[in-house]
Amino acid sequence: MLENFIAGSAALFGDPFTIAIFVFGVIGGMLFGAIPGVSMLTLAAILLPFTSDLEPAQGVMLFAVIYCTGTYGGAITAILFNIPGAPENAPTAFDGYPMTKQGRAGKAVGAAVLCSAIGGISSALVMMAATEPLAKWAIRNIGPPEIFALVFFGLAVASSVGGRTIWKGWLSVLLGLMVATIGQDPVGGIERYNFGFADLAAGIAFVPAILGFFAVSEIFVQAEKKVTGKYDAPPVGMSFPTILELWRYKIAVVRSILVGFFCGILPGIGATLAAFMGYGEAVRWSKDKKSFGKGNMEGVISSETANNAATGAAMIPLLALGLPGGALTAMMVAVFQMHDLEPGPLVFYNSPDLIWIVFAAMFYANLSILIIGVMETKTIMYLLKVPFQFLAPMILLLASIGSYIGRGLVLDVVVMFVAGILGFLLRRSGYSIPGIVLGIILGKIGEQNFAQGMQMVHYDLVTYFSRPICTLLILAGVLTLGFSIYQAFQGIKQKSPAS
Amino acid sequence: MGKLDRPHLIEAGVWFLFFIVFFIASFEFNQPIEIYKFGATGWPRTILLLLLLVMFGNMAYAYYQGHALQQGRVGIADDEAEKTSYDRATFLRVVTALGVPFLYAISLKPVGFYAATPFFIAAIAFIFGEHKLKNILLVTLIIYMIIMIIFMVILNAPLPQGNTSPFYDFSAFMLRMNTKWQQLELW
Repeated sequence: MLENFIAGSAALFGDPFTIAIFVFGVIGGMLFGAIPGVSMLTLAAILLPFTSDLEPAQGVMLFAVIYCTGTYGGAITAILFNIPGAPENAPTAFDGYPMTKQGRAGKAVGAAVLCSAIGGISSALVMMAATEPLAKWAIRNIGPPEIFALVFFGLAVASSVGGRTIWKGWLSVLLGLMVATIGQDPVGGIERYNFGFADLAAGIAFVPAILGFFAVSEIFVQAEKKVTGKYDAPPVGMSFPTILELWRYKIAVVRSILVGFFCGILPGIGATLAAFMGYGEAVRWSKDKKSFGKGNMEGVISSETANNAATGAAMIPLLALGLPGGALTAMMVAVFQMHDLEPGPLVFYNSPDLIWIVFAAMFYANLSILIIGVMETKTIMYLLKVPFQFLAPMILLLASIGSYIGRGLVLDVVVMFVAGILGFLLRRSGYSIPGIVLGIILGKIGEQNFAQGMQMVHYDLVTYFSRPICTLLILAGVLTLGFSIYQAFQGIKQKSPAS
Repeated sequence: MGKLDRPHLIEAGVWFLFFIVFFIASFEFNQPIEIYKFGATGWPRTILLLLLLVMFGNMAYAYYQGHALQQGRVGIADDEAEKTSYDRATFLRVVTALGVPFLYAISLKPVGFYAATPFFIAAIAFIFGEHKLKNILLVTLIIYMIIMIIFMVILNAPLPQGNTSPFYDFSAFMLRMNTKWQQLELW
């Protein structure tokens, strides 16, 4: 392994043009992740056509680097503006944004920098050591029933955070699942819910939906505060956390690495679920559950460690099985195909150089988060000082471009603003925006794997539940759900003025 | 009625309407799939049924607990939920703030990005609290230039050009200028 890693590093740093692409990927991923309104997906979509002019290893490496640094960059906007750069950063905002409002933005961002790097580096190391054996284990033990079970567990966790009640949490998730049914059904390709619009046949793209629900709705919330005279610019706190402060959360970090890696390794699940589950586990094991959502640093640490730990793991199904784990890894499949390559087991034998350049680049990209991340963060934090009336049009414009570029459809921009208005109204009524978004992302994956699982077991539920991992995950989901419903009928925590 | 009030009933009504619309619309694609027993409607109808059940759960909760926050919830958005009441003027300003971006989105197809964007920037800056004309013009110019430099000049990103004259002509002019600029080969 070490020899291959050294060879990959030498290939990466032996050619000035490859170094330039690596540096561009690191800085571009961080910037696009950290600028509210656009994300690493926007950058990846713009760059995709240009990768045909690059060597295959350079093209795949560029996207892998953007994936690592963009996942970290999205945490910055989640913490500073309550606008997650990507869905995997949504749980980071639960505690990160309250920390910003308390003037502790520096501490939250510092924790995110360090934990993103730790999560990413650990994941890259495990990926280098264990891609092949893990892929073999996944082939033997993970099938559509297990993936559906994990989707169910993930949705149960998502429903238990973010909404004012378990019912509103589930209504949010179900709304997201319904939105995901628009477009072609994943089994027979039959068009559903197009309501006479031809563009809807391709379904609702999740990038505009995410930008609308997170970025645009947050701008609307702040605009409402501005109009009603309740807007307060958050104080800029530049003090980073000390090593001693972070050391207290070592168990949370290790737990989140495990959660992130497990979620990342499963095809189609990716970093988003990892972040939600990392956050959910942090709440479950904490002695001070009430402090979550109010600025508990452990919330930021858990979700950021988990989502970055999933980035390396997500390469395993992609490279070993040819199955993408998310939007960006799906674009990487396109890069492979542009160069007449197919990701899958044969890649390890046909193109070992490519694999080890990518592995080495991901390792160094995570390492560079530590160095460049701190410098970049100090600059980005000055965005908090820009008056809202000037920042808002910039964010809305970037979000519009980000929505449009993916498919070149004006409908996507309209969808984004409709999602923004809907998100604004739902947030006011206590619904969970991350729940809706997770429903949209996991809806198709869940349906497809449920259908495949049912076909596999010939619609026999006994056979379905005879698979131990599947049963365990379904049981965990049911217990999470049952506990939340039990809590729903317990005492009242807080009365709102309306009541 | 317990602790149920008008907002709860409106909320339940909206969800019920959503259920009805999507359930009726599901008959349009109610076709069997040879390889899959549950067909194209199985999954969405199951979700709709769950949605209806959860809606009743939501109403039952509201009946007993009113607007109270459930114990043990985490990650609740701090949006002054259900607390804000507006006078007529404020309500109009909020509606305008929500409506202008939506109008901008709709205008992109006929007007195009290049022509619609300066007006959008100026309108948003004004609605969100900047009332000095000089500042609005300056900010509009700066933001427009930044966006054009990044997305048109550096990244060559394809943006909506519009399909009605004279807006389409303006977009074509901008793109021609960009092409000429790229051909200058200054570097």
